[in-house]
Amino acid sequence: MPTNKPKIRNSTKSFQICFCTFKKKQLKILIIEDEEGLRDSIEEYFTGDNNICETAKTYTAALGKINLYRYDCILLDITLPGGSGMDILKVLKENNYPDGVLIISAKNSLDDRLDGLNLGADDYLVKPFHLSELKARVSAIIRRKTFNGSNQLMFNELTIDLLAKEVKVGQNQLKLTRKEYALLLYFIANKGKVVSKNAIAEHLWGDGIDLADNFDFIYSHIKNVRKKLVEGGCRDYIQAAYGMGYKFSDQ
Amino acid sequence: MKLQTRYNYVNLVTTIIVLLITGLVYYQAISWILTWQKDKDLKDEEQEIVQYVSINHQLPQTFQTNDQQTSFTAAAPGSVQREFINTVYFKKWDKGDGHRRHHHEKAGEYEPGRGLVTSVTVGDQYYKVLIIESEVETEDLIRLIFTITIGVILLLLLALLLINRLVLRRLWQPFYGILGELRSFNIADNREITKVDTSTDEFTELNVVVTNMAQKAKHDYKDLKIFTENASHELLTPIAVINSKLDTLIQTGNLNEKQSGLLNDLYSAVSRLNRLNQSLLLLVKIENKLLHEEKPINLKDLVEETITQLEEIFNDKSLTVACSLEDKQITGSRYLADILVSNLVNNAVRHNYRGGELIITLTAESLVVKNTGEDWPLDAQRIFTRFHKSSGSEGSGLGLTISKQICNNFGFSLTYGFSNAYHTFTIGFGSAGATG
Repeated sequence: MPTNKPKIRNSTKSFQICFCTFKKKQLKILIIEDEEGLRDSIEEYFTGDNNICETAKTYTAALGKINLYRYDCILLDITLPGGSGMDILKVLKENNYPDGVLIISAKNSLDDRLDGLNLGADDYLVKPFHLSELKARVSAIIRRKTFNGSNQLMFNELTIDLLAKEVKVGQNQLKLTRKEYALLLYFIANKGKVVSKNAIAEHLWGDGIDLADNFDFIYSHIKNVRKKLVEGGCRDYIQAAYGMGYKFSDQ
Repeated sequence: MKLQTRYNYVNLVTTIIVLLITGLVYYQAISWILTWQKDKDLKDEEQEIVQYVSINHQLPQTFQTNDQQTSFTAAAPGSVQREFINTVYFKKWDKGDGHRRHHHEKAGEYEPGRGLVTSVTVGDQYYKVLIIESEVETEDLIRLIFTITIGVILLLLLALLLINRLVLRRLWQPFYGILGELRSFNIADNREITKVDTSTDEFTELNVVVTNMAQKAKHDYKDLKIFTENASHELLTPIAVINSKLDTLIQTGNLNEKQSGLLNDLYSAVSRLNRLNQSLLLLVKIENKLLHEEKPINLKDLVEETITQLEEIFNDKSLTVACSLEDKQITGSRYLADILVSNLVNNAVRHNYRGGELIITLTAESLVVKNTGEDWPLDAQRIFTRFHKSSGSEGSGLGLTISKQICNNFGFSLTYGFSNAYHTFTIGFGSAGATG
């Protein structure tokens, strides 16, 4: 089965998030999406945690906003009433606006994806997606924009070296597998949110997900990560949520 | 049998029969005319004899020319009935024929002759008169006619052959042109049927009909594809909304066990719906050849990556995975190759049982994915058709269809086999065009 989510091996940049930035500076996110239901959900998911969300539902409204304000990240739908999101992207780039751009499109064609990335978009996510996936990608974009590739991600006692892909609890280095590492980053990007098992499975296994509808393997996977973290001296941040997902939280 | 051959065959048989009949009629007519001529000569001779006898009152001296003999024999009065007879003519050789006489002891040879038996009365004596004329010229004539007839037949055959070679083939050229176009016609192709250049009404008409039909078929097919694509596209947004609403819903907290169970079911259903939809879109794209990347792909690396990617799932199902991979480079869309390999491997896992086996063999010629599973073979005819699923399968029913399409796209073959409790899917790299 095809999937819009790139597999782990070619999407490491998606996990490069820096949580610590959220506390220092308020983040502004613009959601350009004409579908009300989707727009509202994204807005709700992203608002809070020191983020401010603005929305635009038409081409003209979006154009007006990007010409007036700067955003840390713009979520850009391609098919909009009144025009194409690609043209908005062009305007952004022609004016050298530094806003990060994540295209969210229903078009899953390689050409569109390449066009968008060639025009200067930072990432491309195909509908439908899990909000947690979107959050992880946005975080990665903002981190890259703000820190010009700084490679330290910290969460309380956890320190993650994003270049070396190393996780430390204090001075104690943890040995995580590629997927365990990816899972940890995904959790941190969606800190405080319940992440569904489906979202986790699709993020980590991509296509492989549909062949095992019982998500036992996710359970054992998470059990392993949790065990490694706790044994390394980390607090247990991973909480099971109602049997349908997990929540990474320090509260 | 080709139309030309059939036409020639009929033509040939008719010609031969007609010519034979003509020859026969011709022969009859000529021989009748000649006999009539001979009979007239004989009557003239008879007349002369009668005149001679009435003037001279004695028999004329029997004389013999090259082609006529007359003999008189005394007979009882009234015993001779006047009649024309077919008889033989004894031809004596002249001195000039000495060489012949040397070979034959006889003094001459028999030739077919025409005779007239009549009577004459000299005084009281009644004589039977026999006049015989050689018919050898008639025979020669008939032989000539026969030769000419055969000659004409041969000439006609030659003419037919030439007509066939030069004219008919050219006449039918547009037909074969149209046939060739039809044969190479592919409904999913963008190529139009080219107009065949001909001034023959029938072929022009045929061409127009064929072109229109092809256009209509293509148009309908395109409509159908556009419909599928649009329908799938339109579905994406509501699926995206449901997905995001579910993600939002689980944030609200305080869900009881029953509610979370329901949400889990919803998640799986949406996820399935999404996969199904993506598969349909992908199929349209492959059929439209929209994924026409030409990149070198190391298949060995790709298979290894796929296996690494699914490691946890193999472990979860306690599958024994055995790989024997040789280096193999192919060219095409990396995206499609990725889907092809993971589809086959996923399939082998999905239809496997706990503790089963998975064997992947990659050689320069083929990629073979073998797995344990059901104890009976699948329906090889139907597994590649859309939405064909084995009972209890959680897949979309499109996985193998997509795999097959991708193989077609790459020019590979994809075959299924079952032996010794192993289900085997084989991608043959070399057999371009071997599949439908």
